[in-house]
Amino acid sequence: MTTLALYSNKGGVGKTAAAVNLSYLAAQTGAKTLICDLDPQSSATYYFRVKPKLKSGAKGFIKGGKQVYKSVKGTDYENLDLLPADFSLRNLDVTFDKLRHSKKALRRILSPFREEYDLIILDCPVTISVLAENIFNAVDYALVPLIPTTLSVRTYRQLLSFCKKKNYDASKIYTFFSMVDRHKKMHLELMVKAAREFNGVLKSLVPYLAQIEKMGIYRAPVAVYAPGSLASKSYQNLWSKVQKKILSSKRP
Amino acid sequence: MQNSLKFKLPDGHDEKQFIGKLADQYALKKEPAVAERFTICDTFDWRLFNKSLVLYASGNRLFLRKLAKDKILHSAEITSLPVYIWDFPDSELKRQLAPIIKMRALLRLVEVQSRSMPYRILNPDEKTVARLVYEEFRPSRRKDASALANHLWLKSVKGYPKNSRTLAKQFQEAGLTIIKKEDIFFKALELVDKKPGSYSARVNIQLEPDMRADKATKIILRFLLQIIRINEANIEKDLDTEFLHDFRVAIRRTRSALSQIKNVFPTRTTDRFKKNFAFVGKLSNELRDLDVYLLNEDTYKALLPPVLCDDIDPLFDYLRKKRSKALQKVIRGLKSKKYAKILQDWETFLNKPPHDSATIPSAALPVIDLAHKRIYKKYRGVVKAGNLILKKTEDERLHALRIECKKLRYLMEFFASLFPRKNLSILIDQLKKLQDNLGDFNDLSIQKEYLLNISTEIPVTHQQSKKTLIVIGSLIGTLEKERQIVKNAFAKTFTGFASSENQELFKELFASKS
Repeated sequence: MTTLALYSNKGGVGKTAAAVNLSYLAAQTGAKTLICDLDPQSSATYYFRVKPKLKSGAKGFIKGGKQVYKSVKGTDYENLDLLPADFSLRNLDVTFDKLRHSKKALRRILSPFREEYDLIILDCPVTISVLAENIFNAVDYALVPLIPTTLSVRTYRQLLSFCKKKNYDASKIYTFFSMVDRHKKMHLELMVKAAREFNGVLKSLVPYLAQIEKMGIYRAPVAVYAPGSLASKSYQNLWSKVQKKILSSKRP
Repeated sequence: MQNSLKFKLPDGHDEKQFIGKLADQYALKKEPAVAERFTICDTFDWRLFNKSLVLYASGNRLFLRKLAKDKILHSAEITSLPVYIWDFPDSELKRQLAPIIKMRALLRLVEVQSRSMPYRILNPDEKTVARLVYEEFRPSRRKDASALANHLWLKSVKGYPKNSRTLAKQFQEAGLTIIKKEDIFFKALELVDKKPGSYSARVNIQLEPDMRADKATKIILRFLLQIIRINEANIEKDLDTEFLHDFRVAIRRTRSALSQIKNVFPTRTTDRFKKNFAFVGKLSNELRDLDVYLLNEDTYKALLPPVLCDDIDPLFDYLRKKRSKALQKVIRGLKSKKYAKILQDWETFLNKPPHDSATIPSAALPVIDLAHKRIYKKYRGVVKAGNLILKKTEDERLHALRIECKKLRYLMEFFASLFPRKNLSILIDQLKKLQDNLGDFNDLSIQKEYLLNISTEIPVTHQQSKKTLIVIGSLIGTLEKERQIVKNAFAKTFTGFASSENQELFKELFASKS
């Protein structure tokens, strides 16, 4: 089993869209896949047409075990299950902080799923606090969508220095370019610069496309309602890079 | 609720009507139908069926499941349907099947096609909360034929147990019944008039203790004749080596019965058929020997140092050529007038009612008495001969003992139905251990001799052949070492067989009560 977090300390970068599409593509290859929606905004849950509700809410979630297990819903797609979000997850940071092993709680909560799934993908909320540390402790890899803008790149540097300070292995962090506008010269230039500056940049980009935004209308992964579209192809390409560069590499 | 339930529609119920009614109540979404073809495979002697397994090919995959179960145990991708275990792609499936199928060919028994029509049941968010699949099986390539089986699957979606529970309840109220034990396997085989498990080379004869001995013997011999006939027809096709093997074992058992079940037929008749079956047996000696060497190819190679492994190939190429000639010889033999006459005579004799004659001492004896007498005598002979070997282990004596054990084993199997099964199988297991030891010793002796002889046959013209001779030499050395190990193990094996507990058990079971 491998766990992969779609993570960013900056909002609106395309985490959920990537998490939903990647988990769908993974499941299509036959891998038993679980997508965990940790974001109280519950967008991933919405895309899969599931009610954002956990059994016994955040309390049950933190307890782990049976309650969490029972909350899992089968999606409309073969091999793909979802652990829905819940509005009560908004206080996860504070609640984790009060626990004895505050930084390893998420790891413990997810452990019952290790047996059953080949791949667990976490769709994370924006965070760089205790919850972020929980995420880094729980996953094998983190995949960070990076919009090629000055602010986005700056935030990514902040993340790397946070990892360095907290002693997290930065080699398990990968990134790809997200919401790219090929008409913008600055996007193109920044991509070249970033690829030089950072390790673990996947040679794959997801453009800024209306087709992707339509996920909210169709409530399905792109490949389901627009197979063969540029949007679908770019996620397919991202998935094959993830498979090749991340999942088939040796665990850190 | 279980993940999926299989329902049967009541007779005369139309699935379209049923689903149409459901659509009035639920948001139902039809998905594209899926058509698939299945080819069900097994060996001639039903090795998979006997283990309650079903192997079938569909698309470019092979699937293995338990009989009357839907869960796939193993599957593997294939480019074409494998015939032998060594044709299988390296996979868990191969590892599971290898010890079951062994050297037997897989036969395509029957092909059926299925058509699945899936539906999704949606909630107000248009989320799938349960699935329905209507599945229909038909004989392949016969569109007009009526369905072999049809059923409706209700598959629950994780996290939505209530929806499937409600549906299941509703189905049952509408007269649908849950199917638990039913397998398309049986219906499909019925189509082609095949009865699972109908063939086995194992002796399976039901006798009554007070039956006349001559009548009982004929029952045994008729059973063996049936095995001979079934296999003889398949030897020519050369699908695998075991048709010949089963044929030969049945011939050997026939000869053994003729000589071991004494004084039940006129002496002249017995002598004539003994001679005839000796001739039939000899017809295929060479072919069987070659089969054994070729089946052992990998074992031989494993005995060699890796650097020499490929140099043995010319030997096997040579043996393969010899084998195809030997096969032709056997086929000619089986088609000869002489063979046909021998078997025809035999059949006529077996079908004749036994005739009373005072000159045939055991003919009218109750078979149980004869069985006691013959088995116990043979057993004591084996123990006596074995004890002599313990004093002085000679190759010839071991060879003779092997033959005696085989005769004893055959007798015990012919008359098995007359004795308590549990005790008998304990003794047969004990005997088997001894036979294994003696058999190994014999095989190794013969193989060693054979290799010595064959080395003079292979023409030594170039470098490669010389190398092959070196390899054969090395192989002979290894076999000889192995042979000594097996020989040394005899004493322990025999002492186990002839233990006082076993002697008691033999006595209790077979010593004449009269």
